[in-house]
Amino acid sequence: MTTTHDFSGRTLLITGAVGSIGRAVAERFFASGANCVVTDLDESAATALARDIDPGLTRVLPLAQDAAKPDDAARAAKAAVERFGAIDFVVTSAGLYRDALVAEMSDAEWRRSIDINLDGVFYTCRAAIPHMREGGSIVNIASMAGHRGSFAHAHYAAAKGAVLTFSRSLALELAPKIRVNAVSPGLIDGPMVQNLLQMNAGGARLIEQTPLKRLGRPDEIASVIAFLCSSDAGFMTGTSLHVNGGLHIAS
Amino acid sequence: MSTHTGRVALVTGSGRGIGRAIADAHGAAGAAVVYLDHDPALAEAAAAEAAAKGRKALGLAADVADYASVAAACEKAAATLGPIDVLINNAGISPKSGSDGKRAPMWEMSPSEWQRVLDVNLTGAFNCTRAVVPGMRELGRGRIVSTSSVAGKTFCDIVGVHYAATKAGLIGFTKHLAGELGPFGITVNAVAPGRIDTPLMRGTASAANDAVKAITPLRRFGTAEDVAETCLFLTSDAASFVTAQVIDVAGGWLMT
Ligand SMILES: NC(=O)c1ccc[n+]([C@@H]2O[C@H](COP(=O)([O-])OP(=O)(O)OC[C@H]3O[C@@H](n4cnc5c(N)ncnc54)[C@H](O)[C@@H]3O)[C@@H](O)[C@H]2O)c1
Ligand SMILES: NC(=O)c1ccc[n+]([C@@H]2O[C@H](COP(=O)([O-])OP(=O)(O)OC[C@H]3O[C@@H](n4cnc5c(N)ncnc54)[C@H](O)[C@@H]3O)[C@@H](O)[C@H]2O)c1
Repeated sequence: MTTTHDFSGRTLLITGAVGSIGRAVAERFFASGANCVVTDLDESAATALARDIDPGLTRVLPLAQDAAKPDDAARAAKAAVERFGAIDFVVTSAGLYRDALVAEMSDAEWRRSIDINLDGVFYTCRAAIPHMREGGSIVNIASMAGHRGSFAHAHYAAAKGAVLTFSRSLALELAPKIRVNAVSPGLIDGPMVQNLLQMNAGGARLIEQTPLKRLGRPDEIASVIAFLCSSDAGFMTGTSLHVNGGLHIAS
Repeated sequence: MSTHTGRVALVTGSGRGIGRAIADAHGAAGAAVVYLDHDPALAEAAAAEAAAKGRKALGLAADVADYASVAAACEKAAATLGPIDVLINNAGISPKSGSDGKRAPMWEMSPSEWQRVLDVNLTGAFNCTRAVVPGMRELGRGRIVSTSSVAGKTFCDIVGVHYAATKAGLIGFTKHLAGELGPFGITVNAVAPGRIDTPLMRGTASAANDAVKAITPLRRFGTAEDVAETCLFLTSDAASFVTAQVIDVAGGWLMT
């Protein structure tokens, strides 16, 4: 990994940190010198991740946070501040991607997707904002699905589309002190897309449709998020960046 | 830390302004840089300053609107520095020939002014890309970034219809070429600057510029370096899965 940014003395709060993308983000920010507050549903998995990255836990703080719970978000922000003094970067990576056709979708399935994928972003940002330092940056992970829709994932796509407009609105509210942007991954190798690949001949068809002819890697999302958090992107706010190898050409 | 060591970058319109900053940023990141500009004195001076900092640099004069002059320059560049990995289509003009120092309204625009803006801003990108892509295909890698504009995505009262049409044209150019060239390991992206403080911007009445600043969420003009850092990101390994994108560097202005 080539890290080009110096985030030392700065603090990242990331949700869904145990996931494939979340882990890559935490690793990259840690390697760039940041303190990292890594939260996920599963506390023991968060702790294991933290020990992997930083065996002495000197700059990494693992926490349990159910993204769907407002109190958990408040607790995570408070713990981050108690440990590291303030928050500079927020990355919302917790996400749930389940298959369901609208005609067959239960209230609970709809609710759960919106709770985690949309409400969770609101709760985490709201809790972090009062503790964020000037020059800070929020990056919400949306999805290609939020731009073009996704077969059998209307609840997910609706939430991700809302995350895009939420991010733009928040960019207006927090400017000029804090920048807010979104990143929309395409197909990134990891557990989340395994079902989708299986339903598409092992993914061959989807890869064929991707100009770069491959899946993306989690570190290729992390590097874009690091760029957005860095001063290199100091004039960028309210944008959404697609990282999809050309699978969805629209921006 | 050097992210572009061993790469060769050609930046058009790099004698001054945004292009100059993009070229300098690539040089600072370790690339050998071709400063290509219509104005030979600007190209020479920029390359000489880079060379004085110990960087590999070559200044070349060419009019991007003229295919023969571009092809000759690219050949000379490759012969001197090696095959071109990175092409930045940045040369652009935005005539302000209206009576009030603003753009000419469409109904008063001369056909020759329309034609020149198309030739430089849009055909220029075709000419340069046409000249370097065969080499990139041979290399099996390449990065192409074009300088579009927020004015290519939505109405901006400052620019003329010719300029808006070319900047929108670069977006179609970028998205289409990303599809054609992706299978060869070449990414194609664009940046869409807002108001960036350069000689080009200063050619516009300052009241018009200030009006944009007032509605830009970050409450300032961008710098040429702001745009340069985004280009450098797009040509770096950090953006290896990013293609077909048009990235606003606009401080939140219009959020197109
Ligand atoms: N992988 C892709 O192709 C892809 C594509 C588009 C968008 N995304 C988005 O990127 C983000 C990360 O995805 P990933 O690929 O790392 O997925 P992943 O499944 O590997 O990780 C998701 C993480 O979120 C956690 N999580 C789930 N519910 C939670 C909750 N209620 N509270 C807290 N944490 C919870 C999970 O425990 C897991 O660690 C998600 O927002 C996802 O929607 C991923
Ligand atoms: N400044 C802004 O606010 C702004 C906003 C959006 C987009 N842009 C775009 O950014 C690019 C750079 O703009 P800038 O502000 O640095 O302009 P600038 O006028 O300061 O610099 C442009 C450079 O391009 C060169 N050039 C012009 N015509 C050429 C030709 N035919 N062949 C080769 N070189 C040529 C000029 O000699 C000059 O050195 C342009 O494409 C412009 O449209 C600028």
